[in-house]
Amino acid sequence: MSTTDTAATSEATRVTGRDSAGPTKRSGRIIPRLGLDRFSGLYVLAALIIAYGIWLPDTFLTSQTARSVADGQAIAAIVALALVVPLAAGVFDLSVAATLGFSVCLVAWLQGHHVNAILSVLTAVAAGIVIGAVNSLVIIVLRVNSFIGTLGMGSLLAAGSYWITDGQTLIKGFSPDLLKAGRAQPAGIPVTVWYLVGIALVLWFVLEYTPVGRYFYAVGANPQASRLAGLRVDRLVARSLILAGFLSALGGAILAAKLGLGSPDVGPPYLLPAFSAAFLGATQIKSGRVNVLGTLVAVYLLGVGVKGLQLAGAPSYVGDLFNGAALIIAVALAARTSRK
Amino acid sequence: MSNSSSPALRVVNLAKTFGGARALKDISLEIAPGEIHGLVGENGSGKSTFVKILSGYHSPEPGGVIEVGGNELSFGKPADSHAAGLRFVHQDLGLIDDLNCAENLALGRGFDTAFGRRIRWRSEHEAARRALAALGYEIDVRRPIGRLSVSERTAIAVARAVSDHGGRTHVIVLDEPTVNLPKAEIQRLFRLLRLIRDRGVALIFISHHLEEIFELADRVTVLRDGEVVVSRSVTELNHDSLIELMLGRALRAVRSDARAAAGAPVLTASGVCGQVVQDVDLTVHAGEVVGVAGITGSGRDELARLIAGSAPFTGRVAIDGEPLRSNRPDLFIRAGVVGVPAERTVNAALPDHSVRENLTISHLAPYSSFGLLRRSAERTDVRTLLEKFDIRPARPEQPIDSLSGGNQQKVMIARAMRLGPKVLVLDEPTQGVDVGAQAELHRLVRASVENGLGVLACSSSSEELSEIADRVLIMRSGRVVDELTAPLVADDISAATLAKQKETT
Repeated sequence: MSTTDTAATSEATRVTGRDSAGPTKRSGRIIPRLGLDRFSGLYVLAALIIAYGIWLPDTFLTSQTARSVADGQAIAAIVALALVVPLAAGVFDLSVAATLGFSVCLVAWLQGHHVNAILSVLTAVAAGIVIGAVNSLVIIVLRVNSFIGTLGMGSLLAAGSYWITDGQTLIKGFSPDLLKAGRAQPAGIPVTVWYLVGIALVLWFVLEYTPVGRYFYAVGANPQASRLAGLRVDRLVARSLILAGFLSALGGAILAAKLGLGSPDVGPPYLLPAFSAAFLGATQIKSGRVNVLGTLVAVYLLGVGVKGLQLAGAPSYVGDLFNGAALIIAVALAARTSRK
Repeated sequence: MSNSSSPALRVVNLAKTFGGARALKDISLEIAPGEIHGLVGENGSGKSTFVKILSGYHSPEPGGVIEVGGNELSFGKPADSHAAGLRFVHQDLGLIDDLNCAENLALGRGFDTAFGRRIRWRSEHEAARRALAALGYEIDVRRPIGRLSVSERTAIAVARAVSDHGGRTHVIVLDEPTVNLPKAEIQRLFRLLRLIRDRGVALIFISHHLEEIFELADRVTVLRDGEVVVSRSVTELNHDSLIELMLGRALRAVRSDARAAAGAPVLTASGVCGQVVQDVDLTVHAGEVVGVAGITGSGRDELARLIAGSAPFTGRVAIDGEPLRSNRPDLFIRAGVVGVPAERTVNAALPDHSVRENLTISHLAPYSSFGLLRRSAERTDVRTLLEKFDIRPARPEQPIDSLSGGNQQKVMIARAMRLGPKVLVLDEPTQGVDVGAQAELHRLVRASVENGLGVLACSSSSEELSEIADRVLIMRSGRVVDELTAPLVADDISAATLAKQKETT
């Protein structure tokens, strides 16, 4: 039973440059002295808001912009949070965005076939759980490296999304209730933000204040030591992947309700920003570990940065540019801090 | 230039100090071409330091001289050692499992290439086949090494060492080449080594199995505490006199008077087999420390893993009569058998985690109510543990990596003791721990034993076993072959692990 795939479970930590086996060397602490500490993301975020506010007072400093950034980044944040769970446990999940996209298509298709709103959402979420279960099967039982296994799963889900939608954009038959659940603005704040706050709160609690959260981080730090300390490593890795599938699919259902359409093109663009946010988040709040609050800071830091540039008239590809650079810099920073 | 009259290897006044501790003191040694020279000594006698200086891994202190085939060797560069004609066959052989034999032989030397850097596979394979055939081995040179037997792999490693690329091979150092070999294959290896000796190459043969030294070697050098005790022909020595030279005092008669058990039996193992471990029976009673001694490859370390439930076994391990499932550390822990594994950084420590998190990870239930962790209760508990086990600094939030080795090991032992085990399985409990902390760890273990804990302690240090154990099981070739009881003397334990196979069965 407890056939620990140490190779698969330790690779996520390896990407962040943390060497779980070797002793850590201590040398000069240049980075902290530069102020790049665990709250630096918040400083940068504040600085960005002030800078853009001075630069673009008419367009940037509006409640419209604030709402659009908050709303626009909410789904990206949910995908990033979904990714945080398996990364904490030391495995990759490259299928989170594809799961989101598949869930969007599934909800749209079910709506087009007059399935009631709640049942549509539940079906999509159940599909996400199944996807997570299959991912864990592939990684734990078939011993496929998590990076490869979930990359393949992402492609399978992309194919599934095309199959469901026949490559079309499905817009027919969305129930008004579902659309309302995705577009309302309670207290003037987009409902997607409320969903995000709810999910983030629960996940923050799970990862920080429950035994299973502690176990996830332990497995991510040293799977072999965790197994010898009595943890059920395989089971924990499976749980993290199932939780990721569940959260991604939930995000997909929310996105479908917000957009009122389903298309195979919706999901994939969420993958890279999720990774950027999770890894950049790992340098924040609880430095050295992927974590919920750090990820939220990172998501909105990236969102605000891109939004301001767009308002200033930057071309549309600035988003890709920003996220790609952030991913590389974040991982480099993580490698740096671990060598402190 | 080299000439036939000069020794294959001449070492004069080689010394090495590591941070105040003398590892080698004025080693002088001469080995003739075509001589098989045994090198023996206890763990820590300086053998590996000596080999590492030869291989260019360490530099000796000024004043030392090494001559290979009459030419003086410059120190500290592996490439120079190689060019001078020194070759090494390490215990792990240094082969790459995914590559085939021909490719492994070409490693470090480069391939025979044709126009356009195309590798001449046909000639490579033919050359590899011929090289091995000359040593008496018929091996499919196209098969990945990982699919060959240990003895075939050993032969390939030796063949690579013999090949003359980059200068003539004068000396081959074999570091415990027989550790993983079955008995029949050892004879085959010996034939191979004699063949190479007859070509005029000198061999340095390191082994803990003294009967192998007597069978194979022409001369033998004994190291003790970093010094050459003796260097002479094996015909002038016998098994017991060699052990005496290694230990530095006369061999005592081995006692085997059974001692009354301290308490009721808690853990019983019968017919336990692993990869090396064969058919081991043992019992751990409440309130006693059972030590396990054995040389590398004896199965000592594997036994610790089997009894801690972290490796697959066949046979029966039972606690209070209840059998346990193999390879399930979680079930062993729940049943009260808790292991503290060797190699802390790989097997026990959670890097980037605090001392608190490292201490409590095995069992968080006491702090959780309605699924939530109560950190205050955890902190209180952790402070108590830090004080009880005298872990310094006594700061729960300190990252584990910033503690000294001794304190880290105390954290690992505290993690296990916190679970209130019935049996503690220690594997190399004071590995990489300084002397002061060692004594403290021993005291901590002994204190719990007074209160009825049963301990199985596997250690490569005879001194450690003599200090903490009530009785010591001696392992050789995967079996428990002897048992020593109080009063335990470290030298007796060492001697017993080295004793001849035939004496005890």
